[in-house]
Amino acid sequence: MRFDPATVAAFVDGELDDLTARRIEREAESNAALAAEIARHRALKARLAAHFAPVAEEPVPQRLRALLVDDKVDTSLSARREAKAARFGAMQWGAVAAALVLGLTLGSHPWTPAAEVATDKGALIASGPLAKALDTQLASNQPGDAAVHMRLSFRDRGGRYCRSFESWVFDGIGCRDDGRWRLERTIAGQPKADYRQASSGELAAVAAAMMAGDPLDAAGEQAARDAGWSR
Amino acid sequence: MRFEDELVELLPRLRRFARGLARHADDADDLCQAAIERALKSRDQWQQGTRLDSWMYRITRNLWIDERRAAGRRGPHDPIDDGIGQIAGDGAAEVEAGALRGDVDGAMARLPDEQREVVMLVLVEGYAYREAAEILEVPIGTVTSRLARGREALMHYLGEAA
Repeated sequence: MRFDPATVAAFVDGELDDLTARRIEREAESNAALAAEIARHRALKARLAAHFAPVAEEPVPQRLRALLVDDKVDTSLSARREAKAARFGAMQWGAVAAALVLGLTLGSHPWTPAAEVATDKGALIASGPLAKALDTQLASNQPGDAAVHMRLSFRDRGGRYCRSFESWVFDGIGCRDDGRWRLERTIAGQPKADYRQASSGELAAVAAAMMAGDPLDAAGEQAARDAGWSR
Repeated sequence: MRFEDELVELLPRLRRFARGLARHADDADDLCQAAIERALKSRDQWQQGTRLDSWMYRITRNLWIDERRAAGRRGPHDPIDDGIGQIAGDGAAEVEAGALRGDVDGAMARLPDEQREVVMLVLVEGYAYREAAEILEVPIGTVTSRLARGREALMHYLGEAA
C-alpha cells in the first residue's frame, strides 16, 4: 500500500481520521520506507519544537507585561492577591530558567548536578539526576548530603504518584505521568546552608492541596518505588 | 477572566511565534508589543466566545506582514549570530539542539515568509491545518501546500536526519 507524501505529513500532524491513521501505523510496521519517512517528519518537528521551546519559557519582559498588568496600583485585596500570584509565577519561571542555565553551564563539573529539566510540548519534565532521584531515592532513607532531597510522596486526585523534593537550584513537585516525572510546581531553591526551612512550608501546602488521602509512609513509598511508580 | 489576563497567559506562546517570524529577540518583542497595543485598541472586534489565541496570532502575523512589505523586498535576514538568550536545555538531545540552534534559525530564515508562518503555526505552535488557515485567512489547501514546501526545504537545509 502506498501513501502520498501529503498523507504521511498529515499523519504526523495528527490530521488524519482514525481509520486512515491506523492503516498507516499498521503499514509502517512492515514498510521500512514508510517508517523512515514518518521518522524523518517527526525528527524535523521535534527539532523545531526543541529549538523554539525555550522562548516560551523565558520570563515575559516587563515592557510587555506592563501593557497588560498594572503591578503598581494596589488598591484592593484581590488586586494584591493577583499581583502576588503573578510574581510567584515569574519567580517560578525564573527558577526554572536558572536551573536550565546553571545545569547546562555547570553540568561539566562533577560537584554540581547536570541539567535537571527538559521540556516536552510545553510541559516540564524532570531529567538527569533529578529524574533519577525521583525514580529511586526514598525519603525515609536518603543521604544527608544528597543533591536532591525527597520530601513527601503521595497520590494526587488523578491517581498519579507525586513527590515533592528540594534541591539547591529549585524545589518542586513531580508527578509520574506516562513514565516520566512531570514537574507540576517549581519554586526557587535556596542556598544549601538553609535549604531546609526556606520553601518547605510553601511546598508542603501545595502538596497538601494536591493530595488525595494521606502521604505515603515509608513502606508505602518503598512499595510504590519498587513497582516503578505505576498507578 | 479579564481580557488583559487572558492576553498575559498567551504571551509566552505569542513571543515564541513572534521569534519564529521576526527571529531577532528585540524585533520579536517589538512585534509582540505592537500586537498587544493593537489588540487593546481593537478589543471590541474580538468576539467573546471565539478563540482569543487565534485572534492574537492573526493580529501578530498581519502586523509582521505589513512590516515586511513596508521594508520592501530585503531578501532573507542574515543568519542569527547573537545567540538569542542562553542555550537552554538538558540531556544530549537538547544540548545538541541548542548547539545547532544557528542552523535552525538559518534554515528558517531561508524560507519564504508564507512558508515560515505556516511552519511556525503548525509544526511549532501545534495548530490544526484548519486553524492555521483561519489565522492566515487562506484556504486549507494553501496551508497544506505551503507547509509541504516549507518542510521539504527545511529537511533539505538541515540534512536528512533533520
